[in-house]
Amino acid sequence: MKVRAGRLTTGVLAELADARALAEAAQRADLVQRLDQAAGRLRSDDATVAVVGEFKQGKSTLVNALLRTDICPVDSDIVTAVPTILRHGRPPAAFLQVPQDDGGLASVPVGFEELPRHIAEGDKNGVRAVEVRLDRRLLAAGLSIIDTPGVGGLDSAQGNLTLGALGLAGAALFVTDSAQELTAPEVEFLRRALERCPRAFCVLTKTDLYGEWRRIVEINEGHFQRAGLDVPIVAVSSFLRMRAQARDDTALNEESGFPRLVELLRRDVLGAAAENKIVAARAELQFVVAQLRERVEAEHAVAAEPAAAPEVVRRYAEKSRRSAWLAGGSWQTVLGDGVQDLSADIEHDLRERLRIMVRKGEDLLAESDPRETWRDFQAWAQREAAAAAVDNLMLLVTRTEQLAHDVAERFGIEYDSLDVDLPAPELALRKVDELDVSFQKSGMQQFLGAFTAARVTYGGFYMLGAVGAFFSLAFAAPLGLLAGMTLGRRMIKSERERQVQQRRLQAKQELRRYVDDVGFHVGRDCREAIRRTQRFLRDEFAARAQAAERSAAATAAAVREIADLPPDERKERADALAEQRRRLNRLAA
Amino acid sequence: MSFLLDQVRTLLDRAISEMSDQRLVDARRRVDEPLRVAIAGKVKAGKSTLLNALVGEELAPTDAGECTRIVTWYADGRTYAVTAYLTDGSAEPRPFTRRDGAIQISLGRPAEQVEHLEVRVPSSRLRQHTLIDTPGIASLSTDVSLRTMAFLEAEGERAAQTDAVIYLLRHMHGSDVRFLESFHGDGLSSGTPVNAVGVLSRADEIGGCRLDAMASAGRVAARYATDERLRKLCPVVVPVAGLLGAAGATLREEEYRTLAAIAAEPMEHVVDLLLTADRFAASGTHRAAVLKRLGLFGVRLSIRLIREKTVTDSAALAKALTEHSGIDRLREVFTAQFVGRSEVLKARSALAVLDECIPPGSALAGEAERIRASAHEFVELRLLHQLRSGRLPGTDEQLAEMDLLLGGAGGAAHHRLGLPADAARGRIAAGAQEALIRWQNIAEHPFSPRELKTAARAVARSCEGILVS
Repeated sequence: MKVRAGRLTTGVLAELADARALAEAAQRADLVQRLDQAAGRLRSDDATVAVVGEFKQGKSTLVNALLRTDICPVDSDIVTAVPTILRHGRPPAAFLQVPQDDGGLASVPVGFEELPRHIAEGDKNGVRAVEVRLDRRLLAAGLSIIDTPGVGGLDSAQGNLTLGALGLAGAALFVTDSAQELTAPEVEFLRRALERCPRAFCVLTKTDLYGEWRRIVEINEGHFQRAGLDVPIVAVSSFLRMRAQARDDTALNEESGFPRLVELLRRDVLGAAAENKIVAARAELQFVVAQLRERVEAEHAVAAEPAAAPEVVRRYAEKSRRSAWLAGGSWQTVLGDGVQDLSADIEHDLRERLRIMVRKGEDLLAESDPRETWRDFQAWAQREAAAAAVDNLMLLVTRTEQLAHDVAERFGIEYDSLDVDLPAPELALRKVDELDVSFQKSGMQQFLGAFTAARVTYGGFYMLGAVGAFFSLAFAAPLGLLAGMTLGRRMIKSERERQVQQRRLQAKQELRRYVDDVGFHVGRDCREAIRRTQRFLRDEFAARAQAAERSAAATAAAVREIADLPPDERKERADALAEQRRRLNRLAA
Repeated sequence: MSFLLDQVRTLLDRAISEMSDQRLVDARRRVDEPLRVAIAGKVKAGKSTLLNALVGEELAPTDAGECTRIVTWYADGRTYAVTAYLTDGSAEPRPFTRRDGAIQISLGRPAEQVEHLEVRVPSSRLRQHTLIDTPGIASLSTDVSLRTMAFLEAEGERAAQTDAVIYLLRHMHGSDVRFLESFHGDGLSSGTPVNAVGVLSRADEIGGCRLDAMASAGRVAARYATDERLRKLCPVVVPVAGLLGAAGATLREEEYRTLAAIAAEPMEHVVDLLLTADRFAASGTHRAAVLKRLGLFGVRLSIRLIREKTVTDSAALAKALTEHSGIDRLREVFTAQFVGRSEVLKARSALAVLDECIPPGSALAGEAERIRASAHEFVELRLLHQLRSGRLPGTDEQLAEMDLLLGGAGGAAHHRLGLPADAARGRIAAGAQEALIRWQNIAEHPFSPRELKTAARAVARSCEGILVS
C-alpha cells in the first residue's frame, strides 16, 4: 500500500506539474500558486504516531526498540513525565520545548546526556515536551513518534491531555503488556481515542516474559469485539528486538514481532496519510483544471464557429460580473453566522462542563476533610478540567468541520449557478454543460482540498500542560497546644468541626478560582482557534471566487481575441487548443 | 489476654438470652473460630496465588484470565470438603475434583445464587486464621481514592465479616487517581490502619523479570511506605512474589530434576533457552509445566542457583525460592499484625456486631462500652488507629515511638521496644523503664496537647505492661 501510495504520489505530482505548465501558459499566476501549494503539501510526507498506554506497560522501551535507540529513559520505577517527540533529522539533536511568556513554545537545544533527567522530571523545570531528531529510516519515511507520559495513568489529567493530542496524530499505538488482560479503563480510553484518531493499534508488549501471551491476545480480542472496536493487536517483545540488534540476528528480530509492527506503520499509517494527501491534491487539481478548461473550451468553440463570438463574449462578460459578486456572496453570510453560532455554542459547552465539575467537586469536598484528601482532590480536579477542555476541543473540531462543509456547499451552489440562466450559443452551451456535469460529480469536496490538508490550522494548539496548577493550600494545623489546654472536650469537638468547615470553605474557593482560570485559558485558546478557522475559510473561498472571476474575464478576452484572428492563424490556434484540451481532459479524468 | 475474650463471650451470651438475634448467635460462634483474614485487591493482582503461597498448597485455581468469581473461604478442617452458602441462607455440600491440586468445584447452579463457598482443608497453616479469597475489585472509574480517604474519617469500627485484610497492590504510580483503588471496600472487608497489611504483589515481574527484580520491588515498596496516604491506610507494604512462594512451598522432585537438567547444559544454550518464555515452553512439555508454576523469573532464578551450586537438591531450591519470594517476611508481618492481636481483633468485630443489634443506652450497650474503655488492648488499638490516620499531635519521632510501644510492629516486648528478638531480659526491662519515664513526663508536661497527654498515659501503661511481664 505504501508502495502504491508512493507511485500514486509521483503520478499526482506529475499531473500537478502538467497543470502548472498549462496555467503558466494561460498566464494564470494565481492558479500556479495554488498548484505549487498543493504540490508542497503533497511532498511533505508526514504522519504522527502517538504511543499511549498505562503506567509501566513498556511504552518507552517500545519506542526505543522500534527506533533501535536508547533515547527514552527506561527504569523499573521512574517514569516518563513529559512527551518525547521523535522525528527525522541529521545530525541527531535534542531540544526542550519551554513555554514563553506570550503563550508559545520555544525550542532550546540540549545535550543528549541531559535528556533522561528532563524526561523524568519534566514539568518541575517548566519543560512541556522534549523533541529528539534522529537519523532513522522509519523517521525519514515521514513518521514522527510521540512517547507520551505514563504519569498518573490513563484516567488522569495527563491521560486526558494525551487524548487531546491524539486529535493531531495520524495513529495511536496503544501499549498494554502481556501480564494481564485489558482493564475497563484501558478499553474506555481506546474507545475515546478512536473517536479522535483515525487509526489505532493495540501493541501487546513483554511477550518474552509471559508464556501465556497468546491467551491474553485472544481475551483482548474478545474485549474489543464486545466493545465494538476495530483494533488490530500486534504482539511484540522489545527485549528480543534489542537483543537481535546487538547480535545482528534477523531471525531473532522476526521472533520479536517488530517487523509486523513496522510494516503496519509503513502501510497503514504512512500509506493512509499519503492517500489522504493525494485526495486533497486531486481536489485542488480538479478545481484548477476546471478553471483552465472553461477558457480553452470557449476558445475552441469560437474557433470552429467565429460568428458566435459576440454572444459568447457577452456570456462570459456577464459571468465575470456575477463572479465578482461571488466574492461577497451568501456563503459569507453562512460563514459569519456559522462562526457566531460556533463561538456561542463552544463557549456555552465549556461553561456547562465546568459548572458541572464545580458542583461535583463541591459535593466531594462536602464528604471529606480537605486536609486529608487535598492531594487526591487536586488530581481529580485536574483530570476533570482536562477532560472538560479536551471534550470541548473535540466539539470545536467536529463543529468546525461541519461549518467548513456548510460554507463549501453554499459556495458550490452559487458557483454552479453563475451561468445557469445565461443565454448562450447552442454549441458552446452544450460543451459547457458537459463540463458542468463532470464538475458536479466531484461536488463540494473539491473546495475542501486545502481545508483537509490544513486541519492543523484549527486544531493547532497543543494543550499539553494547559490545565494549569492549583495553589497549594496552607490548611490550619490540627488543634494544637493552646486549644488542648484551654478548651474542654465538647468545645474541642465543636472547634474541630468548625475547622473542617473552614477548610472546606477554603478548598471550595480554591476550586472555583482554579476552574475560573481553566475556563479563561481554554476559552481564549478556543476563540483563537475559531478566529483562525474563520480567516482561513474566508481567504480560501474569496481566493476561489477571485479565480472564477479571472477565469471568466480571461475567457471573454480570449474569445474576443480569437474571433478577430485571420482564418489561417485561427486554424493554427485551434490546433494548439485541441492539444491543450487533450491535456486538460486527461488531467480531469 | 483471653480475659478480654471471656468478657466478650459473657456479654454476647447475655445479649443472646435477652434478644435471640441470629446475628448475635453468629458473632458468638465467631469468637471461638480462627481469625478471618480477607485477601483483597484489584482484578488480576494475584490474590489466589498469594493464598496458595500462604497456605503452602495449590488450592485456589489460578489462570491467565480473570479467575476467582465467588468469595471463597479456606478454613482448617479434618478432611477436604466444600460447602456452598446460598443467597437464600441455606447451605449445601458440593462435590469437587482436584486438578493439579487446585480445587475445582461443581456449583450445580448459577454463580449469582451462591453467597460464598467454604473449602475445608486439613492444614496447620489455617488453624489460627481462615483465609478468604475474593474476586478482584473491578476498576471503578471515578473518585475512588477520594472516597477511600473519606472512609478513614469514619471511626472504622463498622461490623464486617472479616477481622483483618491483606491488600494487594500492583506496581502503580503514586499520582494515579486509581492509586488507592485497591483499598476500596467491597462491603465484605473493611480495612483500617490497625487491621490491614499491604502487599506489593507480582513483585517478580517488576523490571522485566530480571534477576534483580526483588530488589527493584523492595525500592518500590519503600517508596510506597513514605506515601502518607498509604501510611494511613496500612502500616506496612511487603513486596511478595506469590508465584515463587507457592512454588517454593510445593516444589516437586521431578521439577527440580527438570531444572537441574537444563542448568547442566552449556551456558550459551541455557541463555538462549531462557531468553523468552515462549522458547522455554516450546522446548518440552515438562518445561512448559515448570514455567507455568514458577514463572520466568522463578525459572531464571532457579537455574542460576543450581548452576552456581548454591542449591544442590530440591529441598534447598524450595527453601531458596521461598526466601526470595518475600513470603516469610509477609508471614512475620502477618503474625505481628494479625495473629498476635487476634483476640482483640475478634473482640472488636464481636462488639461491632453488638453495637448493631442492641439498642443504644441499654445496660448491654453500657457494658460493651465499659469493655471498650477498660481493656487496655482496645485502648492501644484505638490509639494506633488515631495515630496512623494522622489525628494525634506530636513530633514524628514521638509518633514513631508511640506506634512501636503500642504494639504497632507486634505485641511482643522486643517488638514494642524495637530490640532484636534475642534481647536479654535485663535489656528489655531497662528499655521499658526508660520509655515509661519518658512517656510519663510527656503525659504530665503542662505544654503537651490534651490528646497527646491521654495517649502518653496509655503508652506509659503499655510500658508498665512490658515491665510486669
